[in-house]
Amino acid sequence: MKVEKLYEDDAHKWLAFGRDPSKVNGIIDTNQYMVTSENNSLLIDPGGVELFSAMLANVIKEVPVEKITHLFASHQDPDIISSLGLWDQALSTAKLHSPWLWEGFIRHYGMKNISYEPIADDGGILMLDDITLQFVPAHFLHSSGNMNVYDPKAKILMSGDIGAALEDNDVPLFVDDFNSHVSKMKMFHQRWMPSNEAKNDWVERVRKLDIEMMCPQHGRIFKGDDVKRFIDWFDTLEVGKLNVSR
Amino acid sequence: MSDSKNNYFVAAAVVAANLDQATKISQKLSLTASNARVVMLRAGPSAAGFRPLTDAIHRLADVTVSSSKKINVIAATLNATSVEMFRAARAVKYFKAVYQSVEGGSTYLHSLDGIFERIKTEYEALLTLHRTQVKRLFDELDRLDGELRAAIVLKTLCLTEASQAEGQYKQSFVSVSENVEGTVNDIKKLIKDSQQQVALLN
Repeated sequence: MKVEKLYEDDAHKWLAFGRDPSKVNGIIDTNQYMVTSENNSLLIDPGGVELFSAMLANVIKEVPVEKITHLFASHQDPDIISSLGLWDQALSTAKLHSPWLWEGFIRHYGMKNISYEPIADDGGILMLDDITLQFVPAHFLHSSGNMNVYDPKAKILMSGDIGAALEDNDVPLFVDDFNSHVSKMKMFHQRWMPSNEAKNDWVERVRKLDIEMMCPQHGRIFKGDDVKRFIDWFDTLEVGKLNVSR
Repeated sequence: MSDSKNNYFVAAAVVAANLDQATKISQKLSLTASNARVVMLRAGPSAAGFRPLTDAIHRLADVTVSSSKKINVIAATLNATSVEMFRAARAVKYFKAVYQSVEGGSTYLHSLDGIFERIKTEYEALLTLHRTQVKRLFDELDRLDGELRAAIVLKTLCLTEASQAEGQYKQSFVSVSENVEGTVNDIKKLIKDSQQQVALLN
């Protein structure tokens, strides 16, 4: 599994985990993220069961396990959080932040020790020591209860499935040619995202944010001008389409 | 872990389903005993020998129903333990994989030590609990099997009494003996299958 440092300012760090070569065949590739502060860490969309060992092995290269005090699940899907039952064994006092809508569903993955911190529909704030993280609503993109994470200091938006691309396992972590990347994103957004209204709401919301890096849960990370290029492209894209080719 | 062990929660579920079915079939025995008593009263003194037999069939039905219900509860508890054990075994497996993949290469690997020890201890405790519950289940199935073995004698005794009954009631008593035999055989098949399933759990 590759680990890439996206941002560092003293104890404040963003790390990306992905492109696991030992990943089981047939499961979609995912990106996991971790934000660390002086005494705490937040694991963002920690991934599915099959990824748990690789993720934990790489996380404890960076921080001791007791420092992982928070988990975030953008929504309820198995590739996002089906490893919860195993994290629950490792992190007995951690908190899981996820949309309120999914609490009863996510608990099916097994959750005896970790506590569920429901995020309201209009988002919320998480303080990681002195670092402020914002939970930004992204409902219906694709899940009906869906959140992004924005770090105004690092200027990083973890955008969940928004910006996702379907690609091979070993592609670079960053978008290097936006125009050629569009073909790998188009079908994903048109088929998995059901609502133009929700899409427009999100576009309007994130245009107000100062974003240096946009980090989706699948595919490649957008940097610099590519962030704006993506938002402009997504703004004009018609989603909720059934007959779209891959 | 062997293949059969991987199916331990399936085996426990099959036992629970078998015993649920056995409970329903046992209720037919009660009906058979009640029918036999009605025929006996109509037949008069020539069928007096049937009274202790109908009592025995009733008792057999009661014992089978209560024993089946008891076994069903044990199997359901065992099933829940099996699922917990499966989860714990999975956790041990995934944590072992972490140790294997970062051996000598992680600053904070030791921070997992206490957690891994706890997970292994919990798994061992579940294994012990599982073994205890399997033995209890095995013993209860064996006890019920013994009761059912004795029931075969009932059929022979019913036939003997039927031969002494007057002509018009003879066939009714033969039917009673056949019903007892058929019902007991059906339950015995379910018990035998359950015993085979429990053997997988040992």
